Amino acid sequence: MNKSVAILLVFLSLFSSSLFAELHSVEPPVAAPALSLPDTDGTLHNLEDYRGQVVLVQFWATYCPPCIKEMPSMNRMQTKLADTPFKILAVNMGETLPEVKAFLEKVKPEFTILMDETGHTIADWKVYGAPSNFIIGPEGKVRYTLFGGVEWDDDKLIAQLKALAN
Amino acid sequence: MMQLVAGLVSGWLLLCGNLSAMEHITLDTDDTSIDIRVFPAEGERLLLGFPCDEGKSVAEENTARSLANDGIEVWMPDMLSAYMLPKLRSSLHQIPGEDLGHIIEAALKTGKQVYLIAGGPDTELILRAAEQWEKTHPDTLAGAVLLYPRLYKNSPEPGQAPEYLEVVGKTKLPIFVLEGERTPNRWSVDHLQQALAQGGSPVQVKVIPSVRGYFYNRRDANRSEEVVTSQLAGLIKVSLFYLSQEQMHE
Repeated sequence: MNKSVAILLVFLSLFSSSLFAELHSVEPPVAAPALSLPDTDGTLHNLEDYRGQVVLVQFWATYCPPCIKEMPSMNRMQTKLADTPFKILAVNMGETLPEVKAFLEKVKPEFTILMDETGHTIADWKVYGAPSNFIIGPEGKVRYTLFGGVEWDDDKLIAQLKALAN
Repeated sequence: MMQLVAGLVSGWLLLCGNLSAMEHITLDTDDTSIDIRVFPAEGERLLLGFPCDEGKSVAEENTARSLANDGIEVWMPDMLSAYMLPKLRSSLHQIPGEDLGHIIEAALKTGKQVYLIAGGPDTELILRAAEQWEKTHPDTLAGAVLLYPRLYKNSPEPGQAPEYLEVVGKTKLPIFVLEGERTPNRWSVDHLQQALAQGGSPVQVKVIPSVRGYFYNRRDANRSEEVVTSQLAGLIKVSLFYLSQEQMHE
């Protein structure tokens, strides 16, 4: 019986660690690469314009299962951080506007989706997999990174981002 | 030390229309017996694939038959079953390099030009085989085709160049990479090309539009993936053509 409980606890801890992976601290923080891209309505967004806020820059694709799975938690994350200077800029990796719009109809993200149809920012940001996440501090530097899908509304993550904003 | 290349165990297992037959040969090594599915052909080229599929692959067999019909002989050794290994990425490390060499040696004894091929994480196996074989038999293999290679050592950390497995960049073999367009790895294929070339390999890359990685092994294949899978033999033949051009330039 004790053995079964131990196995269950090990399983739960592995399961939890995959869902609630920790942010990797970038030491020392480095200046974020330039990011200036249109959203799905054609409005240009420049990372510089969000100076003073914490920004989650995420690189994602419609064919990336973890990206799709975590999007609802990003909606909830945004709600939980409503009183915090915080912005999500989710950069689509090289797909076309019709492809992305069809996907958004189904998944309904409530945050800003940016289009990079040529993929030029992917090289600038050294992105080699998806989802690749960068947390930018209010001073415009990369403070944390994270590869892979997570539950973004996890209380620990929310606390870390609130602390960064303050 | 290889004991012998045993003869035919069973042949003419499956015929479909005018498609080529499959034979089985068994290669006995000191440690095990390796079953090799052989799709014989009269041509001068032999494609030696390492599908770590426990002998179950369907798309690969169909492709092999099609290639054999066009004169390219195909050998598919079942490396996992030979060592009673599960289909896990970690199993690849337990396959002895010596035995990979024995298979290459047997393939070269046919007198044909031998090309290596593998897909996904299994590409590690042919790079290791090529590296070890070249140490004692330089310039005897004709080239390698890597289908959607997955050769990262760890998950790629955002903002940092990826680290590759140690076998990457250790061979001079001409390499042709086929990668799907609808996979994040498409964005790192140029970086991988440079890493593979560090050992002296001429490396060519072709990104296949509208397909994901593992495109010929997907249960949820879309129309593009079905079409490309049905035409995979043609893609491989094109890859071999460009690899042969590299040999002419050397």
